Amino acid sequence: MPTTFERLRQLFIAHFDYKSEELTATTTLENLGLDSLDIIEFMFDIENEFNIRIPDREFKVTTIQDMVDALDRFISEQDSEQDIGSSSNN
Amino acid sequence: MKRKVAVTGLGIISPCGNSIDDFSFNLMAGKSGVRRISSAYSSQLSVKIAAEVDFNPLDYFVKKQLSGMDRVSQFALAAASQAWKDSELSLDAKEKERAGVYIGCGMGGGNTIEDLYDQLFKHNADRVRPLTVLMVMNNASASHISIEYGLSGPCLTLSTACASSANAIGEAFRQVRDGYVDVMLAGGAEAFLTYGGFRSWEALRVLAVEDPEDPSKSCKPFSKNRTGLVMGEGAGMVVLEEMERAVRRGAPIYAELIGYGSTSDAGHITRPSLEGQARAMAEALEDAGLLPEDIDYINAHGTATEWNDLSETQAIKKVFGDYACKLPVSSTKSMHGHTMGAAGAIEFIASLLAIKNQAVPPTINLDQPDPQCDLDYVPNIGRTGVTVHSVMSNAFAFGGSNAALIAGKMKG
Repeated sequence: MPTTFERLRQLFIAHFDYKSEELTATTTLENLGLDSLDIIEFMFDIENEFNIRIPDREFKVTTIQDMVDALDRFISEQDSEQDIGSSSNN
Repeated sequence: MKRKVAVTGLGIISPCGNSIDDFSFNLMAGKSGVRRISSAYSSQLSVKIAAEVDFNPLDYFVKKQLSGMDRVSQFALAAASQAWKDSELSLDAKEKERAGVYIGCGMGGGNTIEDLYDQLFKHNADRVRPLTVLMVMNNASASHISIEYGLSGPCLTLSTACASSANAIGEAFRQVRDGYVDVMLAGGAEAFLTYGGFRSWEALRVLAVEDPEDPSKSCKPFSKNRTGLVMGEGAGMVVLEEMERAVRRGAPIYAELIGYGSTSDAGHITRPSLEGQARAMAEALEDAGLLPEDIDYINAHGTATEWNDLSETQAIKKVFGDYACKLPVSSTKSMHGHTMGAAGAIEFIASLLAIKNQAVPPTINLDQPDPQCDLDYVPNIGRTGVTVHSVMSNAFAFGGSNAALIAGKMKG
């Protein structure tokens, strides 16, 4: 299973046409020339890829590593919510 | 004191070519851009023909730009970039404050709206693309152009259906002539060849029946066997510039824009009024300080609907009197279809090319003359070796808006 970082990197490449070597953990979104509107649009594809919903105003990130950390957090939170939901349904 | 206005740049994305040279060549060759619709939904339509633009967005934009831009804005920006480059303009920060953008567009981001509803209603999506609003809004095209070139004067979108971009160019002309700005990027764009778009126009019963022998010959303006319009898409943009400025910098000058008439029928929402159309043409002549006999060519609105072609013919006769029968009038819609909000700009460009080339494009598919449409429509074959000093371009619209533009050849 590819890491969150690798999946995110592939998404960056598909969405923006960046080269793989431009995308490291410490790369900032500002360095990539992305503004807040670009990120909002990109979040739609991120949500699809990771099958999550990113809550409004909770995606304050500077670097790609920040994004990875935030995504891992959302994934684990939403996994546990689903677990609770599915166990309560049983 | 009114200032003179030069046209110093042209750009086009059209069913008859995505460059001014291709467009010019194809119109004079009588080459039609009408064909069978390529979309997957075409089997569901009763009318399966259109004048589509052959356009690969990645030839013009990087992926990052495309995620926030409807097809209509892509057309507008691609045409604007051609016009801007053609004009060889370079403005400093202060000059950019006296430069603006006027765009005509009927339907805005139609493809985005259709995708949106498809996702919501057909696929039960619980969320939509984040930039949907910015792609749908009708002023998106003008804004993208303003941002791209840093033009910080007035930036407006005019929406008068099929007269939109003629009105945009005419109003931009007045802005320059009256001294509010020195440069305008003006024109229009439309991209409404969507399933919903086709269905909507089909329901109005104004679309042409496909020619049984050759789909490309389905649009037959002024012909006795005309059956209606063929939907098209595209964009046309021109650079308008205060004349002294243009001459001083040695700009390429296609023509002087000299007259504009704008009227409303104030009558019926679809049925055209020859009075309203005639007043627009007469106003443009008066504005230009020309007599009817001074016009050498009219690019007609010429949609190939029964009512338009009859009404426009009568309106031309009313304004031009006996001279009407000597005046070449053609409908290039026979080739590039009805590009709706872009029509006024695309056809104004066709008119300017008549001056540049000293040649008049034909009305193709005109094999059966209509006794009630009895002007010189330049049937089927473009006319070269003619003298073209001054041209008029007509654009009329559902809603009753009428616009006429007049341009003249530069002296010397």
